[in-house]
Amino acid sequence: MKESPWPRIGWRNLGRNRKRTALTAIGLGVGYFACVFVVGWSEGIMSELVENATSLVSGQIEIHDAEYRPDRSLYDTIGGREGADVEGLLRAIDADEAVVAAAPRVYAGGLVSSGEATSAGMFLGIDPAREVALTRFLDPLAAGALPVAGRYELVIGEEMGRQLSVGVGDELILVGSGADGSMANDLYTVAGIYRTGMVEFDASTVVMPIGDLQELVVLDADRIHEIAVATAEPDLARDAAQRLSGVLDVPARPIVVASWGELNPVLAEYVALAESFYWLIIVIVFAVAAFGIANTMLMATFERRREFAVMLALGSTPRAVVGIVLSEALAIGAVSLAGSAVFTFPLMVWLYNAPPSLEWLYGNVTLQGALLTPSLRVGYNVPAWTWASVGLLLTALLSALYPAARAARIPPADTLSGL
Amino acid sequence: MSGLRARFLLPFVAVVAAVAAQAPAPAFAQSDPIAIIDRVDRMLRGDSSHGTMTMEVVTENWDRSMTMEVWSLGTDYSLVRVQAPRREAGTATLKAEDDIWNYLPKVDRSIKIPASMMGGSWMGSHFTNDDLVKESRLIDDYDIEIAFEGEADGVAVWDFLLTPKPEAPVVWGSIEYRIRQGDYMPLWTRFYDEDGELARTMEHSAFTEMDGRLLPAVMNMYPADKPGERTTMRYEDIEFDIDVEPSFFSLRNLQGGRGRRR
Repeated sequence: MKESPWPRIGWRNLGRNRKRTALTAIGLGVGYFACVFVVGWSEGIMSELVENATSLVSGQIEIHDAEYRPDRSLYDTIGGREGADVEGLLRAIDADEAVVAAAPRVYAGGLVSSGEATSAGMFLGIDPAREVALTRFLDPLAAGALPVAGRYELVIGEEMGRQLSVGVGDELILVGSGADGSMANDLYTVAGIYRTGMVEFDASTVVMPIGDLQELVVLDADRIHEIAVATAEPDLARDAAQRLSGVLDVPARPIVVASWGELNPVLAEYVALAESFYWLIIVIVFAVAAFGIANTMLMATFERRREFAVMLALGSTPRAVVGIVLSEALAIGAVSLAGSAVFTFPLMVWLYNAPPSLEWLYGNVTLQGALLTPSLRVGYNVPAWTWASVGLLLTALLSALYPAARAARIPPADTLSGL
Repeated sequence: MSGLRARFLLPFVAVVAAVAAQAPAPAFAQSDPIAIIDRVDRMLRGDSSHGTMTMEVVTENWDRSMTMEVWSLGTDYSLVRVQAPRREAGTATLKAEDDIWNYLPKVDRSIKIPASMMGGSWMGSHFTNDDLVKESRLIDDYDIEIAFEGEADGVAVWDFLLTPKPEAPVVWGSIEYRIRQGDYMPLWTRFYDEDGELARTMEHSAFTEMDGRLLPAVMNMYPADKPGERTTMRYEDIEFDIDVEPSFFSLRNLQGGRGRRR
């Protein structure tokens, strides 16, 4: 079968007006870069949000008493009043293939006071050894060391330290309500300072050994509010939560094993929403580019009316003229895609590996309870990028359709006679 | 000024301070709601007071009872010190104008309650810290009208409806307040949230003559969202118009533990 000559003619035609070809190709190329970059940046933001939402201070899975959320009552411990076999539960959780760490937690609320300054606080009781394997916010600490059980030590957020003007070694008073109705209060020493970047969390959360908090609020050692679980990847959390739900047995009261998608449905929806926006971005960017290309091609075909008239007069079919114009458009698309890719992908790889700081633009942001740091971090999204490439070529073709149709309908005799 | 505050929002101070209850009630021909409430308030509060009360708190998870010694001066100052149980003895609360301080004997420190925690429970009861402070502002913050005047349960009563004035910094959507016409004794107060839902009910009972005044010696607070829970305040004894200066209500005295006036 004889090869169609139109692609070759189209390719050669690109050289007839190099400046115009270059400008058109750059227009398309910039559009392509914009798509890839915006999608990649958005992907990076989503990855960071999910990572921070699930490993900075929470786990990918949380286990509570069925009544615990959303009120978070001091009394709704796992297993209720009778408590639970915490060690047994942790062993069963650790045995799951997707689980990399699990840690028990106790929560209480109250006041944190130092001298004249007092603020509202949330007390978080942790098992320091297990907690550092699960979350990132205590390792490394901004200052000091992790609290040691039984020594009335605690760790506070940097923002709380600033607000109460306390540092490592200073004394703090915690006041709360005991589970027996008593006024729980005691004196503690600040052993360390952590920093998550989430200002509200850093300003309010006091971290202490779980036994010390249980003693303060008069809870037995087998009464905990939560077991936080980390899976190897956020994506594994849903299935692992279902498995654990079937394995874990707390006879006294029902428990809930929830993955991060259930605990933070807004974040999960937000991530899904961002994915759907990628399409919108691609369509909008190339729609804008399409009009620019259409204009250029229209001018180009108008200038070459006589050329097309000669072709038609010599016996070329209108279809052949359409073929030439479309081939030319496709060739421009291919050139711009190649040129843009050479520039875009190394840049994306560089941004992925060494995201520059955007601190001059904005500070830490907390979105749906997840921290977002100011960096130009990108993520890879190969399907979206592939669709952007297809979009570029389609744009080039579609925007040349009208000019091609116009060129094919040129009346040869009238045009050649100068009419 | 004056009015509802002491009595139902700051029970201890309120009742503690009561006035000459036995005064015959001159008929308020026009039934001026502010005048009536002001009179009731004066009757119950007095200029200053000193007494002993017990507070019983019943919750789903625990019950407890505390005995407290209470001093008050006007609406701006009060001092409450726990006497029993022994484990909590010495724990004290000082209200000085808009500030509330708690003294914690276990750590020997006083803590000022921050604005963000004013809605928190006062000593584990169903009263909030805000109740101690805001009680002195009810008349200022609410428009008062008589919603009902006549017989209820065989007793002549006034029912007052308090609605917040525009821009008033209050937490309640409205308050209903019933007063017995015969002796100006408060019967109950109902607090509604901004959606018009009943949030809590305070009932007064055991009308007893103490230090020459008729007082509701018992006050029960029932939170609407926690059926079965209540806080009961009972005056064991009280004396009015004692000799006490504003300087008595100091941080030093809060921590002092002696708690002797004069």
